[in-house]
Amino acid sequence: MGPFTAEETTAIWLSVKVACWATGISLGPGILAAWLLARRTFPGRILLDALIHLPLVLPPVVTGYFLLLLFGRKGPIGQLLAQAGISLSFNWTGAVLACSVMAFPLLVRAIRLSMEAVDTRLEDAAAGLGAPPWAVFFTVTLPLSLPGILSGAILCFAKALGEFGATITFVAAIPGVTQTLPAAIYGLTQVPGGDAAALRLTLVAAMIAVVAVTASELLARRVRQQVEGRDA
Amino acid sequence: MVRLRVSFMLVALSLLLAPAAMARDVVVYAAASLKTALDDALTAYKAETGASATAAYAASSALAKQIEAGAPADIFISADQDWMDHVSAAGLVQSDSRFTFLGNQLALVMERSQAQRQVIDAQLNITGILNGRRLAVGDVNAVPAGRYAKAALTKLGLWDKVADKLAPAENVRAALALVARGEAAAGIVYASDARVEPGVAIVGIFPADSHPPIEYPVAMLKGADPAAAQPLLDFLKSQSGRRFFTNQGFTVLTK
Repeated sequence: MGPFTAEETTAIWLSVKVACWATGISLGPGILAAWLLARRTFPGRILLDALIHLPLVLPPVVTGYFLLLLFGRKGPIGQLLAQAGISLSFNWTGAVLACSVMAFPLLVRAIRLSMEAVDTRLEDAAAGLGAPPWAVFFTVTLPLSLPGILSGAILCFAKALGEFGATITFVAAIPGVTQTLPAAIYGLTQVPGGDAAALRLTLVAAMIAVVAVTASELLARRVRQQVEGRDA
Repeated sequence: MVRLRVSFMLVALSLLLAPAAMARDVVVYAAASLKTALDDALTAYKAETGASATAAYAASSALAKQIEAGAPADIFISADQDWMDHVSAAGLVQSDSRFTFLGNQLALVMERSQAQRQVIDAQLNITGILNGRRLAVGDVNAVPAGRYAKAALTKLGLWDKVADKLAPAENVRAALALVARGEAAAGIVYASDARVEPGVAIVGIFPADSHPPIEYPVAMLKGADPAAAQPLLDFLKSQSGRRFFTNQGFTVLTK
């Protein structure tokens, strides 16, 4: 990457790595949460819904501070993790956690919408033919909501790529360790005369996002064709 | 009937807007580190004179850019001379209204239970203090407190020992929170910030000559009405105004 300093290149790759991991670890819980909200009624359902959406409403800095309280060296979960030899503080894994939490509501919303659109009569038919609930889920519900899962994942990735407030509050902005692309951009805007370099990095961020969204759109189109083909 | 209601609403609206047009609050744009002290001072100013002023707090950099973009501020208090220079160079400062109001000190802080008073000089055992953990600072390129910290550590010959042990935060209060939560072993913040956080204690104050002077310049901005803004500036400089700042650990540099 010719036009960038070593620190900027590191920030770009770190951001992509963090966003990939955040999307990867959110996908499983995200599908589970979406399925619970779309298909199940249970006590506390509304509470779960609200809890998942909380990071959308709270200022990111507050979310980051909550993460610090819970997952920090002295936090209740942080201490448990430390006993297992996992440390999130000032570590890129902490950035992954912050990005996941911030992007999770977007992921769940997209998957849930597409699961709710799946015709329940198809699920009933599969169950009527003797398929156990897990088989109904994996052979009917999951494949039919694949377009939503894909678009949710890409939203999640894009959000994670741009996440800034929660990350910098939770794990600071250590160059090469936790300084992601948005943190580098923010840093540059704080220096008199740093605007040009900030704009350069902003273009990179925009480019990554455009490529990711385009790729997912193409993929989703293919999947949709296959899903509809199977229907017919 | 409808027309009657509309005209009634127009009258009500104009009544609401009229006082605002006559006497607008003085708007102060101030560096985030001044929040506690300036809030108290403005409350006292209102009690004393009956004139009210509103303060908006953010990083000096953000405020400077907003002022440049035409924000309706009357007074700007920056946490460093650079950003005031920036606003001044854009022709947005009323000439002769600028003066250096406050000073601050740079402090090494630790969690209260860990902190022991030490002299901060070239012999400081910073490696021992950090004990393998991190040193929370404002970002050393972006945040003024971080720039001062880097200058002081470099001057004392300690920079190489901590350069790869830093936890650069978005602002000085965030660095303070990292120390208070025990996330970082120690931190470098302003003495005035160290006072507001009960969870941390000051280990030592950096020698004043180890970093550029920490100064808060004040100026009246173009578009401000001197008749409303000048009394507030005078109050801040007066004996009754300045104590709110000295209480918070600032030094007042105006006579």
